[in-house]
Amino acid sequence: MSSSLSALLSGTFYEHGYDHRVEIIHQRDAGAHRRLASLEVALYDKDGALLATPAVDPGLEVLDLGALVGNATSTQERVMVVLDARYDDAIFPYRPHHYAYFHRRGSTAAPLYYAVNAALGGVPDRVGATNINNFETYVFRQQPFAETYSLLLGCLARFVPVQAQVFAYYGSRRIARDVTLAPKCHSEVQLPAEDHGERLARVEVKALFRLLSYVVGRRAGTGDLVLFDHLFTYAK
Amino acid sequence: MTSGAGTETSQQEPGDDILLCYCTMVTLGELRAACRAGRWPLPGKENTGKLCTGCVGDLLYCLRLCGVDASL
Repeated sequence: MSSSLSALLSGTFYEHGYDHRVEIIHQRDAGAHRRLASLEVALYDKDGALLATPAVDPGLEVLDLGALVGNATSTQERVMVVLDARYDDAIFPYRPHHYAYFHRRGSTAAPLYYAVNAALGGVPDRVGATNINNFETYVFRQQPFAETYSLLLGCLARFVPVQAQVFAYYGSRRIARDVTLAPKCHSEVQLPAEDHGERLARVEVKALFRLLSYVVGRRAGTGDLVLFDHLFTYAK
Repeated sequence: MTSGAGTETSQQEPGDDILLCYCTMVTLGELRAACRAGRWPLPGKENTGKLCTGCVGDLLYCLRLCGVDASL
């Protein structure tokens, strides 16, 4: 493989019953179809066990996670889907990302679109951005739109566990929680929607290195996802 | 490793092909070889671990295994 290729390790979480599709590359020009040089996919359960490494065509425009996970495993539990891509810089003119869409089959909740979290790579050396960016934050809307909130966190390290701190802010109060994840483990960290009568306003994640992280909101009765978004990085 | 004729040869170790830093494209094998030769950080790869930061934990772990006193 050419050494001029760049690399991107991204991840997301697949939950059973969802139509969930990842747009590997947004094809803007039918006359110049772009494709990754390679794409390897790995599926992990919450304890970090490798469930499968299904073969995928790196030339795919859209990857159907429901079919991929359903064909590769029999699990009904949440699965961390890791996408390991090699690509020529020219195919991602902006910061490299895959994008995705999901909707729970039969749900009245709106479909959600999101940028797939890039946990390793995506910041080429030529950018020169060497501030250590180990704080991430998310500010919630003032009007509640989900009944339950949480963080989905995954550790994409190869050798070492990560210790993270999660801070949830309610007015002038905050609730802190420590989370430790071994390599390839993932966890849903619940964020109470209220504390002492104050609504959840903001959440922060602090870790030595970047985690796979999404802010999640669900309907109380059905658990349908109505929020699925990445956090934002503080620049030091 | 250096052969008797003075030619550089390399012996693959487990995990050498693991891409440690996805931003500077440094593999575990390159890191091991550089540490052995006392040449870490490699020229042009000084920002390894400092860009997306996702590999920092693995990087520090591997450097320490290679005998390099590493910190952020």
